[in-house]
Amino acid sequence: MIELPVLDDSPETGESPRNRFWRSISHLKGTDEYSRISAGEFIPGASEGPIASDATSGATRRQFIQLMGASMAMAGLTACRKPVEKIIPFTRMPEDTIPGVPVQFATAMPFRGALRPVLVESYDGRPTKIEGNPEHADSHGATSIYEQASILALYDPDRLGSVRTDSDVSDWNAFKAFVAGLPTSSRIVVLAEPTSSMTMAVVRRQMEQRFSTVRWVDYSAATCNHSALGVQAAYGRAWRTTHDVSAANVILSLDADLFGANGSDPIGAARGFAEGRDMEATGSMSRLYVVESDYSLTGGMADNRLRMKSGEIASFAAAVASAVGAWSGDAGVHASHPWVAEVAADLRRAGSTALVVAGDNQPAGVHALAAAINDRLGAVGTTVSYLSLEDSANDFEADMQAALADMNAGDVDVVLTLGVNPVYDLPGFSDAYANATHRVHVSLYDDETAGSATWTVPQTHYLEAWGDGTSKSGVMSVVQPLIAPLYADAHSDIEVIGLFATGTEMFGYDMVRATWRQQLSGTFETSWRKVVHDGFLDGSGASTARTSLSSTGVNAAVSGLGLAAVSGTEIVISADTKVFDGRFANNAWLQELPEPTTKVVWENVAKMNPSTAERLGVGSKLDGGRYLTDTVEIEVGQYRVELPVWIQPGMADDSVHVTLGYGRNIVSEREERSTNIFDLDDYTDVYGKGAVSTGVGSNVAPLASEGRIVTGSISKKASGYLVASTQDHGAIDAEHVSEQVQKRGLFRMATVDEYRANPDFVAGGEPAPLKEDWEDYPTLWQANHPKESDVMTNSNYFENQWGMVIDLNTCTGCNACVMACQAENNIQVVGKSEVARGREMHWLRMDRYFVSGDGATLEDPQMVIQPMPCQHCENAPCEQVCPVAATVHSPDGTNQMIYNRCIGTRYCANNCPYKVRRFNFFNWTKTLPGTVHMAQNPNVTVRSRGVMEKCSFCIQRIRGANKVANVENRSLRDGEVVTACQQVCPANAITFGDLANPESSVSQKRTSDRRYELLAELNIKPRVSYLGRLRNPNPNLA
Amino acid sequence: MNTASKDKTLASLADFHDEAPLVTGNLKFHDITELVSSHTEKKTPLAWYGAFSLALVGLMLLLIMIAYLFWNGTGVWGLNNPVGWGYAIVNFVFWVGIGHAGTLISAILFLFRQQWRTAINRSAEAMTIFAVICALVFPTIHVGRVWAIYWTLPLPNQMGMWPQFKSPLLWDVFAVSTYFTVSLVFWYVGLVPDIATLRDRATTKLRRMVTGVLAMGWTGANRHWRNYEKAYLLLAALATPLVLSVHSVVSFDFAVSVVPGWHTTIFPPYFVAGAIFSGFAMVVTLLVIARKIYGVENIITVDHLEKMNIVILLTGTMVGFAYITEFFVAWYSGVQYEQYAFTNRMFGPYAWAYWTMMSCNLFFPQFFWFKKLRRNITFMFIISIFVNIGMWFERFVITVTSLHRDYLPSSWDYYTPTFVDVLTFVGTFGLFFTFFLLFLRFLPIVAVSEVKGVMPEADPHFYDHEGDGHDAAHAVNVNAGQKQ
Repeated sequence: MIELPVLDDSPETGESPRNRFWRSISHLKGTDEYSRISAGEFIPGASEGPIASDATSGATRRQFIQLMGASMAMAGLTACRKPVEKIIPFTRMPEDTIPGVPVQFATAMPFRGALRPVLVESYDGRPTKIEGNPEHADSHGATSIYEQASILALYDPDRLGSVRTDSDVSDWNAFKAFVAGLPTSSRIVVLAEPTSSMTMAVVRRQMEQRFSTVRWVDYSAATCNHSALGVQAAYGRAWRTTHDVSAANVILSLDADLFGANGSDPIGAARGFAEGRDMEATGSMSRLYVVESDYSLTGGMADNRLRMKSGEIASFAAAVASAVGAWSGDAGVHASHPWVAEVAADLRRAGSTALVVAGDNQPAGVHALAAAINDRLGAVGTTVSYLSLEDSANDFEADMQAALADMNAGDVDVVLTLGVNPVYDLPGFSDAYANATHRVHVSLYDDETAGSATWTVPQTHYLEAWGDGTSKSGVMSVVQPLIAPLYADAHSDIEVIGLFATGTEMFGYDMVRATWRQQLSGTFETSWRKVVHDGFLDGSGASTARTSLSSTGVNAAVSGLGLAAVSGTEIVISADTKVFDGRFANNAWLQELPEPTTKVVWENVAKMNPSTAERLGVGSKLDGGRYLTDTVEIEVGQYRVELPVWIQPGMADDSVHVTLGYGRNIVSEREERSTNIFDLDDYTDVYGKGAVSTGVGSNVAPLASEGRIVTGSISKKASGYLVASTQDHGAIDAEHVSEQVQKRGLFRMATVDEYRANPDFVAGGEPAPLKEDWEDYPTLWQANHPKESDVMTNSNYFENQWGMVIDLNTCTGCNACVMACQAENNIQVVGKSEVARGREMHWLRMDRYFVSGDGATLEDPQMVIQPMPCQHCENAPCEQVCPVAATVHSPDGTNQMIYNRCIGTRYCANNCPYKVRRFNFFNWTKTLPGTVHMAQNPNVTVRSRGVMEKCSFCIQRIRGANKVANVENRSLRDGEVVTACQQVCPANAITFGDLANPESSVSQKRTSDRRYELLAELNIKPRVSYLGRLRNPNPNLA
Repeated sequence: MNTASKDKTLASLADFHDEAPLVTGNLKFHDITELVSSHTEKKTPLAWYGAFSLALVGLMLLLIMIAYLFWNGTGVWGLNNPVGWGYAIVNFVFWVGIGHAGTLISAILFLFRQQWRTAINRSAEAMTIFAVICALVFPTIHVGRVWAIYWTLPLPNQMGMWPQFKSPLLWDVFAVSTYFTVSLVFWYVGLVPDIATLRDRATTKLRRMVTGVLAMGWTGANRHWRNYEKAYLLLAALATPLVLSVHSVVSFDFAVSVVPGWHTTIFPPYFVAGAIFSGFAMVVTLLVIARKIYGVENIITVDHLEKMNIVILLTGTMVGFAYITEFFVAWYSGVQYEQYAFTNRMFGPYAWAYWTMMSCNLFFPQFFWFKKLRRNITFMFIISIFVNIGMWFERFVITVTSLHRDYLPSSWDYYTPTFVDVLTFVGTFGLFFTFFLLFLRFLPIVAVSEVKGVMPEADPHFYDHEGDGHDAAHAVNVNAGQKQ
């Protein structure tokens, strides 16, 4: 042990030659009495060295700091629940740690039965921002919206803070005593989501051994495991399916939203798709066929899109399977659909580079058909891989029915719901639930199930607890906590199951390490540290399974499919693209995120196309810029749900789509804010009226009790319901808008053939009155530009000129950048009524346009999405009109907002042609709960009321890199500055960098012949360029 | 005064004057003084208290709305992301526009020797000042951080931070504040001889002291008159370019931007014409009432009102011409955004506002081509109200319809005012009438000395054949010739 020097003022041996200050006579004289008192005067331990008998052999300063540094490093690694003693307050600063400079830790977010690898940025022990793990093959640094938003869930002020028994506040010790006291003869039902955690598997086995009857139900009400069931039917076992979209030349999506955040692997799909669309590099492009009833993001990216009722897609799949020889039989209603022959021919031509994917909502039979087609075409091994990992392929319905039967019969003593919420999303559960003697619920919130549980245990957020698991591709990871649980009672799933398994408290850290001792070779500590540091175990991916298709299995699965036409209106229920199954419902960022295709916020709606709405006699109208819609009552079986109507062009006729996850009823411990009539604080605060999600939308889970695609009756209920949408505030007439978008050259696209014939097609899209050539105007770094003044050029920053290129060809519109921008830049939420008034704050918005004409009709338009950040114009119109110079140009070519200086005339916003400026109409931050403030980025100013704000090109990141480069006395390297939106983009659609450097990737991208600038004829010289979109439609299909 | 042949009536002098007499009713100098001054000296009528209470209620409403705004933020208004300017800026331009008539009447008509101005210039100038005060309320309160509004002034500070001189909003600050200052000084200078008259007539001590201070020692000496007239002429010359500049600068707020529908070179003259148009309409509205109540129909005659109506007809037609020119230019320029903006005005979501503006501003004033109609008090009152409404809508159309649909259709939205917007506007009328009623009560509403100056008696040769020019005191019924 290293001795620490004693940190006290023990009597000196030599008198100071200079004036001596003394506190008392006894101090001056150095009496024994004084020594005794002064030695004990300060905090215990501070005045005594570790080895008091040998005070002279204290540690050197270097040793001391080494110890401190090591302690700090270990604190970071192991700082969960137990090793609290090793945490040292920041007053003793460890070496290499600079307050205010963030540290990144690798961890992973469990979602849909797999881990999503992430890096978490932590400021002085406070996690603030989540990025993808760039070294992990499943992420490459990208994430979906859920990882981005999960940081806010950590700080959710509505989280459950203490153990509850019935509705009384209890504590963890009481719960421990309860579990320890359970007789081993207890009959237990566990409802838990499928998980990839190895530690969970271990403790689950232990628990099953300890208690006589444990029925474990893989609770997949929301994630529905149709895919696994389909694979099981086709191959005998539920091998985990992964797709390599980049290798695919022809892709057929059967109702699958590949790029939607609620899909199983949107990141990999978007990245792979982008690679397959790189026309410039490869000279060819993949082709995407989408057959779907909804209008999804994937449908928007499709080269050929077919609207078809979800219930009839099985028939289409069977017809295609039949045409490629993967299955034989009567394909039913769409057996001779004109598309079948074309798609099948294209798939056959592609052979092993074809890929057929079926959607989550489609029954297992369709997944089996997709597997059969892929197998028949030889795609297994190229575009489709089956990993030797088995997904849960239990028939959830059957398992659950059995469990409910037991519960109803009174044969269940304990029901343990682990992070799931069956009272909310499983109709008919409540009655059975009440029959169980003990109802233990582990949850982040005091939610619906907690309302009828006997014990409710707060669950830890994944950033608070140790865990492990595998990613989608089977790479093993350790889930590392970044912060001690915000609520002392909160425990992780494995800790709760561990408690049940042993009857004594188990610590996640110990459990995970115990599991990993079996996994790691070599010295355990070394390997463990590396895994924790990297965020994954290198080289641990799952191997490919040896598969052989069972045609009888496929036939059996298909025989269960309905291949006839669906009569009447079908109702399709799917997980929401924002709040998923409701688990993210209390996340204000996600609630306010515009739904990618409808742009609706804070609501779930019944989507239908115009002709369906007309047939049902429902509609919507614009009243003063606000959407007032009719509501419909949807009746399926015994369940009825009332939802507002949303009319979405391009959906299948007679198909109504609803999403899960709304209508939550979470109880918050926070007091409702109520202010006097003169004060609007309660109105401006989304946290002001109980839990964020309570009262938002309606719960449609009961409708899904008989499947995801059902029929039922729909009738008009009421009128005048306000739906908030971030787009179309004032323009409902899609055709009118579409014509203006075309005329103004906002979104330019061409087919591959047109592009080959005329690579400069974007120039043809330039709006008519462009008098002078864009190139006639010198850019900032060229001579004679008015901005080349001494003030600018003498600045150190002048060396870099920042610019951005956004590739519309690969952008899927998944919203990850919007969410990342919100997390990075402390963008506040404003709530439904303020969004309805057009006051949303997102700095980066996704403009969605429908395109009719050019083969597309109003009933069946194309959908395009265009990201719109601040364009950082060189001749910025906003800068010239500000009376107080609060928005100015930086020497490195960005348009900056000086919040301190802004007085809020809003003239800049009026004069911005792109309307990307956002005004703080109220003080959105003033009333935020304290924990929400903790999620904010300390490097970005929180804006006050009355100031303008907008995209800054993540100036805090630029300046951070500037600082590092300056210290190291060098120029910035290309790629050193990464904006939040760029970093998160799975498709790499956003390139940011230095335009002054001709070698930089952004300069290279700007040489593309697809490049154009928006509203270039205004001569405002935007620094953001767009690359025109290319489509590769099958010429034989209109 | 006994025989008809020796009778020196105004009618008999008609031959010597090209114009119809400016003052009717056979009034003498003293009658004029008496007529105007007596209103400031008599016991306050009950009706005034009633009107003033109503105005104060409006003023309180304004103050409450402003307090509510300051307490909560700009969000209490109906503004949104594309429409960053709404009622506040519309009202600002509306009030500044109204504030144009007074100085135009005082300064420009003075320089052009339009003697009929004397009857109305005082009240028109007062109206100008009060309108500009109402106007100044809005740019002050419309900023998001009102506590930092002084940053728009070029105040030396330790940061060496100046306002941004390229911004039209800053030009506004200078233009409107200069205009206000000069108008106020001009009005006050014109008031000095009349206040001296009030001082001389004062019967109470307080009245004598207040008017004594305000009259600044005016004795009516020849030297005073000489200096006064020189100063008045210089101020008129100074105010004249300001009349044209202030609304030109206000129009730059729009014209300098890139917003389609704002970015128009026609704006400065079009705004000035519109301002005179609305200002004259407001003067007509106010004077039709005031002359009746104050019984000064012989001083502010139908001839005066008719002349103003002719100006309204002229400027209204100019404004209408500008509307049509805008459309022509939008078409001729070939700029699609411009074309869209103007088509959208006519047929878009705000078509109702556009057609209100067109009918009120272009169509209704055309009735003034008919002499009978433009001399009809009731009719002109109705038209002047229409013009006031139309000119408010003109600013609304320009501000809001241009912003609500500009370049990118994704951000298009619709602007709806809130109750705070509406009540703040209503409240400014309270502010205006509070000032105006105080003016009516305590100051001479007609420029007594100037009216005397344009009466035939002011002609030095008027009394030539009466010897010393000091006529015997004559008894005139003050109310002679007036309708009772």
